[in-house]
Amino acid sequence: MAVVAPPPVGHGDGHAITQTHADVTRDVVATLSAPSRGYVLLLLGSAAVFLMGLLTFLILVIDGLGHAGYQPPIFWSVYITTFVFWVGIGHAGTLISAILFLFRSPWRTAVYRSTEVMTVFAVMTAALFPIIHIGRQWIFYWLLPYPNQRYLWPNFKSPLIWDVFAISTYFTVSATFLVFGLVPDVAAVRDKVTGWRKTVYGLASVGWQGTDNQWRHYSRAYLYLAALATPLVLSVHSVVSWDFAVSIVPGWHGTIFAPYFVAGAIYSGIGMVLTLIIPLRRALRIEHMITPEYHFDNLAKLTLLTGSILFYAYGMEYFVAWYSGNMFEQTTFYRRAFGPYWWAGWTMIICNAFVSQLLWFRKVRTNLTALFIISIFINVGMWFERFVIIVSSLSNDYVPWAWDQLNPSWADWGILAGSFGWFGMWFLLFAKTFPIVAIQEIKEMIPMPRKRGGHH
Amino acid sequence: MADETTASTLDRRKFLTVLGATTGGGALALSGCSTGKVEKLVPYLVQSEDQIPGLATWYASTCTECSTGCGVHVRTREGRPVKLEGNPEHPVNRGKLCSRGQAALQGLYNPGRVKGPMARNPDGSFQAITWDDAIARLAAKLGEAGSRVAVISGAGRGTFSDLLGDWTAALGGRLVRHETFDREPERAANRQVFGSDQLPLYDLGKARYIVSFGADFLDTWGAPLEQARGFAAAHGFEGGQVAKLVYAAPRMDLTGLNADQWLPIKPGSEAALALAMAQVLVSERGGQPAGLAGALAAYTPALAAEETGVPAATIERLAREFAAARPSLALAGGVAAQHAGATEVCAAVNILNFVAGNIGETVRFGAELPAADGHAALAGLARSMNAGEVGVVLVHDANPVYTQPRATGFADAFRKVGYKVSTSLYLDETAALCDLLLPQHHALERWDDLRPRAGVYSLMQPVLEPVFDTLPAGDILLRVSQKAGGALARFNAPSYEAHLKSRWQALAGELGESDFAAFWHGALQRGGVYREPPAAGAVSLALENAQASYTRPALGGEGEFTFLTYPHPMLYDGRGANKPWLLEIADPVTKISWHSWVEVGPGAARRLDVRDGEILELSTPQGTVEAPVFVYPGIRDDVVAMPLGLGHTAYGAFAEGRGVNPLDLLAAPSGEYVPYLSTRVAVRKTGRYRKLASVAGVARQLGRGIAESIPLAAAQKGLTVEQAYIEAGLGHHEVNTERELEAVHGWAEEQHEATQYGNYEGENPQWAMAIDLAKCTGCNACVTACYAENNIPTVGEEQVLKGREMTWLRIERYWEGGEEPGEPVSARFVPMLCQHCANAPCEPVCPVYAAYHTPDGLNGQVYNRCVGTRYCANNCPYKVRYFNWYKYNERAWPAPLHLQLNPDVTVRARGVMEKCTFCIQRIRGAQNQARLEDRPIRDGEFTTACAQACPSDCIVFGNVRDPSSRVARLAQNPRGYRVLEDLNVRPAITYLAKVLLPAEA
Amino acid sequence: MALPLRSRRVPGLLASFVHVDAAADAIRALRARGHRNLVVYTAAPNHEIEEALDHSVSPVRLVTLIGGLTGCAAGFGMTLWMSYDWPVLVGGKPIGSIPPYVVIAFELTILLGALSTVAAVALFSVLMGKRGIAYDPKFSDDQIGVFVPAGGDQAGAVEQMLRSAGAVEVRREAA
Repeated sequence: MAVVAPPPVGHGDGHAITQTHADVTRDVVATLSAPSRGYVLLLLGSAAVFLMGLLTFLILVIDGLGHAGYQPPIFWSVYITTFVFWVGIGHAGTLISAILFLFRSPWRTAVYRSTEVMTVFAVMTAALFPIIHIGRQWIFYWLLPYPNQRYLWPNFKSPLIWDVFAISTYFTVSATFLVFGLVPDVAAVRDKVTGWRKTVYGLASVGWQGTDNQWRHYSRAYLYLAALATPLVLSVHSVVSWDFAVSIVPGWHGTIFAPYFVAGAIYSGIGMVLTLIIPLRRALRIEHMITPEYHFDNLAKLTLLTGSILFYAYGMEYFVAWYSGNMFEQTTFYRRAFGPYWWAGWTMIICNAFVSQLLWFRKVRTNLTALFIISIFINVGMWFERFVIIVSSLSNDYVPWAWDQLNPSWADWGILAGSFGWFGMWFLLFAKTFPIVAIQEIKEMIPMPRKRGGHH
Repeated sequence: MADETTASTLDRRKFLTVLGATTGGGALALSGCSTGKVEKLVPYLVQSEDQIPGLATWYASTCTECSTGCGVHVRTREGRPVKLEGNPEHPVNRGKLCSRGQAALQGLYNPGRVKGPMARNPDGSFQAITWDDAIARLAAKLGEAGSRVAVISGAGRGTFSDLLGDWTAALGGRLVRHETFDREPERAANRQVFGSDQLPLYDLGKARYIVSFGADFLDTWGAPLEQARGFAAAHGFEGGQVAKLVYAAPRMDLTGLNADQWLPIKPGSEAALALAMAQVLVSERGGQPAGLAGALAAYTPALAAEETGVPAATIERLAREFAAARPSLALAGGVAAQHAGATEVCAAVNILNFVAGNIGETVRFGAELPAADGHAALAGLARSMNAGEVGVVLVHDANPVYTQPRATGFADAFRKVGYKVSTSLYLDETAALCDLLLPQHHALERWDDLRPRAGVYSLMQPVLEPVFDTLPAGDILLRVSQKAGGALARFNAPSYEAHLKSRWQALAGELGESDFAAFWHGALQRGGVYREPPAAGAVSLALENAQASYTRPALGGEGEFTFLTYPHPMLYDGRGANKPWLLEIADPVTKISWHSWVEVGPGAARRLDVRDGEILELSTPQGTVEAPVFVYPGIRDDVVAMPLGLGHTAYGAFAEGRGVNPLDLLAAPSGEYVPYLSTRVAVRKTGRYRKLASVAGVARQLGRGIAESIPLAAAQKGLTVEQAYIEAGLGHHEVNTERELEAVHGWAEEQHEATQYGNYEGENPQWAMAIDLAKCTGCNACVTACYAENNIPTVGEEQVLKGREMTWLRIERYWEGGEEPGEPVSARFVPMLCQHCANAPCEPVCPVYAAYHTPDGLNGQVYNRCVGTRYCANNCPYKVRYFNWYKYNERAWPAPLHLQLNPDVTVRARGVMEKCTFCIQRIRGAQNQARLEDRPIRDGEFTTACAQACPSDCIVFGNVRDPSSRVARLAQNPRGYRVLEDLNVRPAITYLAKVLLPAEA
Repeated sequence: MALPLRSRRVPGLLASFVHVDAAADAIRALRARGHRNLVVYTAAPNHEIEEALDHSVSPVRLVTLIGGLTGCAAGFGMTLWMSYDWPVLVGGKPIGSIPPYVVIAFELTILLGALSTVAAVALFSVLMGKRGIAYDPKFSDDQIGVFVPAGGDQAGAVEQMLRSAGAVEVRREAA
């Protein structure tokens, strides 16, 4: 049948898309084609690393946490650091998919699916750590308020219980959000594939047909979900920050922690988004859908913004430590810069506060190689930020006699690596199973052909 | 029984088997399993009169860990001793017990004990034999040897040592009473100066001014507990007074760290200093025997300044202060009394005490303290061993092969003896060379007594069935005598117990006690018979002998450093090295555990460019050892020092191959002493490094007011610490407006109201503690008591290196001053334990209420509920929470050590947090008792383990809600402060600031 | 859940459009003719179609509100009740203290709000959706589908009208 190709039409900001709905469906469904050898190797690689982490965990369970490098008074170290790191990663996804949706920011459509996937799996990874790090992992469920014979309830005054609720809520809601957005796309895939895959996607699409009635409820619901996810994402990392801010440890006990952590979280998240989709778009041959001039430029601007907020927060921490006249705070921050952990302290400041400032230049923002390198700096820097906050603060609090330094061990690194394997494994599996780019929302951006031409 | 016990691991059946084997565990044993022993057990149908399951039974006994002879109370549960505490009635230690004494328990249950009589095979291995066989073998050998018999025994005096004396005499053999740190030079000096052969008692309590010439009277010299008690009375701001302690020695030991002034004199120059002081006194006060003035004339402060390195002005000031304070006291001991000039030093100190008029005041003769035979006797024996004049040697309560410097060649001489017999409980270095092992009972397993001093007869009684197949040494002698017959035939008592009783019958006669049964039971109950020591025998200056003399020590060896070695505060002369408590609880001075170290002064460290942990090689003509450096501000820069006690080649798995033995460096003795100061040492950097197993983080307070102090004047005026600071212009009042205060207090009040719910309503007791830093000497007795009471696991060196020691109660030692070269350095000790805060930061952060507040003000920790998030530990500002990183509970008590566990206290599993509970088991025990007797708890009717053990009584525990309680009164003491008070966590522990004497030039 | 494809077929005509304005015209015309229960398939939500259909606002928002409020109440209820059910004092803080419990209440508000929203959509648009309406895979790709339930007699007229409006294809669906 004759389909009149539409003339290039613009987004609000004049960025052109020269595709038809058919192209979109075709290109995205193409990403689900049979996996390349590279993909399989990558997948097996991540699985192997994950198994290594699993083995480490088993040793911890069987013999005791002692294998990790804990050195009192440092009772939290690499595991909690990595926990906060992964929770933080998640935030960028929700920001892009929910908050930017509310802001009606058109550039998000091409990337939001991948970031949302990242969110779900990052939070899934993070959720493992509270279990890994406790002394008696097999009774972690005691943190849940389940009815029991002895009427023992958890202590809702404890930030750790807030964590349990915040993280589980965050995971549930963002997973729901992802699956919900996925349904129409799965339906689209269903209508393109054949054989057993059709059956599978058919079931997965829970009978979605895109009728007017379905869209009517769907669009509303999607709006509300976005509206609920927005305060949630802000709350989650605030709660995580309160794990520290509520305590009285110098270097933790700060009022700026919530906004500071949220900014950091989004910063680290976008860092990870860049690390993921720069190779991904090439691998899946969707370069034309996610472009440097448009999508990456915007992502980079967001990075610049949050990075600068961090810059301010770091400065503020030191200022407050000095201005408070509190000797304990002052010692902590002095030693953070010049004490035994100076290297970690400066890594965090350089990677986060300074490197992000390169993004003032459009040349850098639109240069994928540069962005990729910067994104690696961001990931490293943000891991070290948490390491510094947790370990260096604990290493020198009130009683000098108790001060000591940490020596991370193979058990620390094993679990850390394992978490990346776990995350990578799920992300890769998803990318080959479900549309990593949102078909339906991109189509929404592309005007349908008109008999009378012109614009609505 | 022995085999069951030795084989036993911590499984229930074995556990009960062992219980069953021990008196009174009957009911349990019946419920346990059948063993050869069962028919002997009495089921509780017939209740044994002193056993109530679940309740402790206490027996009085005597400590034999050193020759001081302190009285102990043994706490037994179901027939197992689980804790040793001091016997309050005993005049020596008055209810206190040092770390080494408490650790006797780990000697009793030590896995390294010899489990029965053993004989050496031709191939050199040991083979278990029966007692009859063993006795027969010894009897035979004695027959062959005739009078060529030698016996080496410990210094302790009592029925057994008398028996041993007679027995040896009957054989025509020779007996050497050997004590590693014998006090022969002191006795020699007493002979010289006073014509008295005795060792006097030193009454520190009466002293107003104390000068110690290297005598570590708080820890390793004399009768430490008695002296610490006296020191607390004199120096602890009782009655608003603080007696000044000046410590003159090249190195500060624990006593030095408690001194108000340290004079870092040159090694071996003590005599010059003492004589100069005496000289100043005599020349200024006169009124002394004329000859003395002449004898002293040569020893001017100028000369002393030359010899000691202490300015003459200081010496004169010291002498005047010493004379002005009546009575004062000068002491010589430790290394100062263990070198070529030792006798001179002791004589000089005697003269100093005499001219200051301290004899009969603070120096009291007449107590007849037991003394060893001095080193010459042992050296003589070694010579005849070499000459092959000894056919049989019997070693009892001594380990000379280890404690004698290698240079003495004792070990080789000992090897030459035809037949060597040891009664040692452990396979120590000496026993390892022996041909026959006749392991004797542990002191807690046998009948015996000790005479620590005139008028004090201290009893021992068996408090459990022998853990292994051992015999009392006395019975060994008696049975051998019967077997051998001949000259020994007259030792025919049916058993040593019978012999002991007969001796006590005689004693009863002497003491004019008619009813022996009553006398005996009284003695058993009170741990002995205590009579006033005879009035201080008047001693006068034996002028003709009072040669005041000083010779500069002649040191062998090459090298820029003088080498010192000294008794290890925990391991003493090495006898502690098989007891995990003593190995793990850090040395109170250096805070290093588990291994040897070499102390280097800060200046010397800069010169050598070494830092903590760098391994140095020390060599003298006698030998070479390697040990890691500990940069110690309390030692002269021209001296290096190492502790004794490690470097064992035998003595059980805990001790073997751990650390090095500095005795290998020492020169051979040539007199009545072992020369712990005798040689220079060449120091070489190996370039290797090891982390010190130190429990110290940063040993500076950084102005955080953890161990506070207050000047004497301010304290006498009754100022608070803060006021004292303000007076000194070092602080200012926090001025709060009415509104602020109202807001704060109003809020606090509201919060409090909101907590009055459920169990928390109404007036409950509030348990609290007060710790007086003016009295704390940092001696570790409380720490060991805490380990014993609360089943605290020893985690081992490799865990201590990761900072994972489990010291619920630790003693922090902070340096003051000494940062600039030449600036005087001093130490502050502060016992740090859970503060049981009213607003405990650890509690709200626990997600599962494992950490919570009890209605009686305790900071509870529910081990079963703990999931191990460790947030509580992060949020504890005092860092007094400890985590079970591994299954310490399965590693720390290798059988039969697990028998020491206190059944009243949970053994914590892996993965849970633990901490000080204020000995809640004792609190609840007392509450139950009070409830049974339907009365309120009386203040002081019970206390925590640490408070019970503290030799200087610096810890007081009680209910602060009871205004009449001691702790309530101390909490109001102006010197009182709370550590990190500004955090508003409201700790339940009040510290009383240390009182500082005004600093002097 | 039962997929519509499996149930009894509804007779009518299924028209496919390439041009959005054409589809919109057709919808308006049909509605003008009294055809109320049309079913319109689009690959993505489309303003013109929505306007043409002129639906009332979805009731989902009400469910979301109720869900959220329930969560909030549950949050405070649970924390306070559990605190007083076994009162344990920690850190000298009140047994039941509101400020920390706000966090729990907030999280539950979000959680139940979100879950009830999704449940509502599942209910309204799938479970309560019309059954047996003809469908064509290309509607999820690039064409707009309009299904007009119409019996035999009207069918001709409707088809005529759809074609004139610009349908690229019109299929008759028998019962």
